[in-house]
Amino acid sequence: MPGRVKKRSPLKAPDRPFIALGLEGSANKIGAGIIKHDPDGSTHVLSNVRHTYITPPGEGFQPRHTALHHREWALTVINDALKKAAVSMHHIDCICFTKGPGMGAPLVSVALVARTLSLLYDKPLVGVNHCVGHIEMGRQVTGAHNPVVLYVSGGNTQVIAYSQQCYRIFGETLDIAVGNCLDRFARVINLSNDPSPGYNIEQEAKKGKRLLPLPYATKGMDISLSGILTSIEAYTTDKRFRPNGPTAEDGDDVITPQDLCFSLQETVFAMLVEITERAMAHIGSKEVLVVGGVGCNERLQEMMGVMASERGGHVFAMDERFCIDNGIMIAQAGLLSFRMGFETPLAKSTCTQRFRTDQVHVTWRA
Amino acid sequence: MATTPEAQWHNVTMRIPFASEKHANIAKQVIDVDRELQPDVVKRTLSVEGNDLVATFTTLTVRLARLTSNAFLENVDLVVRTIGEFGEDAEHVPIPPPAST
Repeated sequence: MPGRVKKRSPLKAPDRPFIALGLEGSANKIGAGIIKHDPDGSTHVLSNVRHTYITPPGEGFQPRHTALHHREWALTVINDALKKAAVSMHHIDCICFTKGPGMGAPLVSVALVARTLSLLYDKPLVGVNHCVGHIEMGRQVTGAHNPVVLYVSGGNTQVIAYSQQCYRIFGETLDIAVGNCLDRFARVINLSNDPSPGYNIEQEAKKGKRLLPLPYATKGMDISLSGILTSIEAYTTDKRFRPNGPTAEDGDDVITPQDLCFSLQETVFAMLVEITERAMAHIGSKEVLVVGGVGCNERLQEMMGVMASERGGHVFAMDERFCIDNGIMIAQAGLLSFRMGFETPLAKSTCTQRFRTDQVHVTWRA
Repeated sequence: MATTPEAQWHNVTMRIPFASEKHANIAKQVIDVDRELQPDVVKRTLSVEGNDLVATFTTLTVRLARLTSNAFLENVDLVVRTIGEFGEDAEHVPIPPPAST
């Protein structure tokens, strides 16, 4: 592109080591992580502890029960994180917490703990946007420079590109998130929620043999998923459907849960790859960064890899430690803004269920 | 419903004792940040008297009084447990500051 000058990062190298505690609890995981930024510019993950609220098969997590889980586990998780990092609360520079988006009751539970710690130890609070947390941790772990970000999780599905100190949303889901679509289908076919419904769908999909026709719903830069969920659910009442696999007298024309998992994944991932490719063409980037819980799906990473390599590009993806919601990403994004002088005063440390990625002023990037 | 004069609303007052005035103040500040979910039918005042956190709720219905009191006590429980876990450690400020690594 003509006239593009490499701008210098506004983020100055720290004059001393900075340590941040990050607390996350916007969905069914409570996480605490401790990160350190050293004067030489290096970043160290000192600890990253998480506890997941797992519901029985066929059930999702309700806000109230999830909040109770977080309240029960918060102190254990924080203490574990401090112990693993061998850091005292006194040595921490700021306490970062998820301000939103997410489920109200779980968010507030974690914010209460963050505020109490902040007042007890007289440490500043930093409210962090959950999505920006995912993006910043992804950039840190993978070293991607200016990627198109595909953020796919149980609550969010967005294609994001950075421009002018803002993570701009290029495309997103028009109804439910992709993780929500997969999780809810897992409930329909009674898959376990342990370790996560998405993981179990991925394993089942590997055994699938048939690609069944499903609606393909990309709408410009956006996608729609609720109709696909309805369609795939409809297959479970089809008379060819065999919930326990084909029997001896069945012919070839049967549908197994494995086929449905396979078909669902192939269809929705193809849609995600399509809108991501379109965003890459728009901004002229050859890098894709996949973040969020669904981002650790290896089939999605593989499909994205094929697309990126055809464009001469590269996919950056992470494993479940950093993909799935965690405290360390909140610490990372919070510490970046803290080093730019950002703090959340106590009176403003409320949570918000709606907090869009593009509402954040990304002061730490050029 | 909303025409019921506020003088006829239901009142709940709770006094929660803390180990110190400082801790009672922390609990008050932490809980005061979040507004009530239905501010037009639930009025909340928090204050600290000595070592006690004093909460007064004025609500339109008995049901709201129960729900708000419950939610409040759950929040107090979380704050109290956090103070119980970290309060003592917070008092012992390490001297000298940690050597940078």
